[in-house]
Amino acid sequence: MIPLLIVILWLVFGVMAISSLFYRRYRANQVLGVTLSKTHSQHPEVQKTIDSFTKACYAVVLLSVGCSFLLLIPAIGSYSEFFMLLLVVSNLFVHWLMIGNYQKKLMHIKEQNKWTYQRKKIVSVDLTVSREKGRSSISSVWVWLFLLFSFAPTAVWFLNADIRQSYPIGLSFIGPLCQLCTFFLYYQMKNQHSSIANEKSEKNLVYAQQEERINSISATLSSLAMLIFWILFSLSMLYTQNSLLVIAPLIFLIAALFIIARWQQNKMRKLEENFIGTLSESDENIQEQQSTWKWGCYYNPSDPRIFVPKRIASMGWTINIGRPIGKIFYFGIMILVFAVILFVAYGGLKDYQITVQGSEIMINAAMYDTTFEKEQVVSVSVIKQLPNGTRTNGYGGAKKSFGHFALKGYGNCMLYIYNHVNQYIVVQLKGNDPGYVFINDKTIEKTETLYQTISHWLSESE
Amino acid sequence: MILKIDITGDIPIYQQIRNQIVSGVATGHLKAGEQLPTVRQLAGDIGVNPMTVSKAYGLLKEEGVIVMDRRHGAKINLFQTQEHPLDKKFDDNFTFLISEVLIKGASREGLKEHVLHLIDSIYGQEEI
Repeated sequence: MIPLLIVILWLVFGVMAISSLFYRRYRANQVLGVTLSKTHSQHPEVQKTIDSFTKACYAVVLLSVGCSFLLLIPAIGSYSEFFMLLLVVSNLFVHWLMIGNYQKKLMHIKEQNKWTYQRKKIVSVDLTVSREKGRSSISSVWVWLFLLFSFAPTAVWFLNADIRQSYPIGLSFIGPLCQLCTFFLYYQMKNQHSSIANEKSEKNLVYAQQEERINSISATLSSLAMLIFWILFSLSMLYTQNSLLVIAPLIFLIAALFIIARWQQNKMRKLEENFIGTLSESDENIQEQQSTWKWGCYYNPSDPRIFVPKRIASMGWTINIGRPIGKIFYFGIMILVFAVILFVAYGGLKDYQITVQGSEIMINAAMYDTTFEKEQVVSVSVIKQLPNGTRTNGYGGAKKSFGHFALKGYGNCMLYIYNHVNQYIVVQLKGNDPGYVFINDKTIEKTETLYQTISHWLSESE
Repeated sequence: MILKIDITGDIPIYQQIRNQIVSGVATGHLKAGEQLPTVRQLAGDIGVNPMTVSKAYGLLKEEGVIVMDRRHGAKINLFQTQEHPLDKKFDDNFTFLISEVLIKGASREGLKEHVLHLIDSIYGQEEI
């Protein structure tokens, strides 16, 4: 399990580094979020700062990868989820600090050289392009079909009784949900704002049509990659025992999305070179954007819009935190993220407490407490190997698994187990919600003692 | 025709859309019968609420600059000549603008020359 977590960490660090490195590219008159003209962005001082930023990005990746090996130390490995979370948050924080620091450096260079741009925010829209939008993209039939096919595991669930034992219905909807994201991406790409390439509407129209074609193809391919991932992932969940094979579809998805993004970027760059030419290079066309951006969000109390396009419009939309509703959205999302982090940390650190109280047994675990009465118990046994299954609503960490699970041959179960201890007490209950409760303790010896305690508690009633 | 909307300016966005479409029709950049983008599409492109564009289209429809077609959306209307286009509303607006530049120190000759230049840019140069 630990090597798998290390690979996941590397993927996360890699994705974060790639997004930071993308940020240093000159796009929409910006480098690292600082407004600069094309000429100014090629100034030796600016280039030196960007080179230094690139090296710092690589250094952060190497350092983070080095830290990930600390998971191999047993004392740290016991709290792997918490440590992983700590590493990811630290990595994110270091990237944030690094970008902020290099932005300050670029702002300093701007001040020194007295490079100023107009503060107005002017949006240019070609009415001909706007009118013709949506007519050059590839058919939406494909993304609809992919969405339909993503329900295949759900259909199999209804048709095959064996699969219902180990594959929860809730899990089968995750694929269509992910597919819906690519569906949304397709329509977002199809309707996104096109740059004004020229003063002539005819040229703008050709540029916009080609841009729309490239974007819709890349969104459709992303949708196909998501479908392949989902089918492979469902198959691996059902038919493979090796957890490393479960991650293979995820690696495929990341690689496919990366290749599609590269293809799209290259095509767009060539298109921009052909059409945009020197129109946007004049300093008069550049608008200073720094003044309306705060904490990475758009901040403009005088702008009535709540949702505004991002600095790079093709990246989607963001919230105007200068407006009261925008603030509520922003802090709501922050609270949600913080709650998830707290839950993971709490779940990873808290141990189970199993207490016998009169005629009932109480199991205390983070958010998944349970209690069962003596008269509910049908039998108690011990097994050495946990059957295959999936989590339906619970916590599945490297060290512990607890909450609601569906196990092959057992159906709906509650688990309160330490994963590294290969001895499990199986308490069969009347009914099937849950039908079984699996418990163990931190060691085999302690599990045996717990089994004796439960057996004794049961015999007391006879 | 290219619309240039100043998001940070003092003039309301719906008014900027309306003014620029009227100018586009007057200068011939927008021809009679030419179709305009849908409210939703234009709002998405500018990055504003569809209600803002809808308000601008509503004003243009009231003024007879555009017609709303159920099947084809908004279209530029044919010029509707009025018997007295230089009405009281025009006089009020123009008087206000002249008073404003007078306070700012514009001379009579300078203003005349500037207004004639603007007339030329909209009506086209007068043939002599």
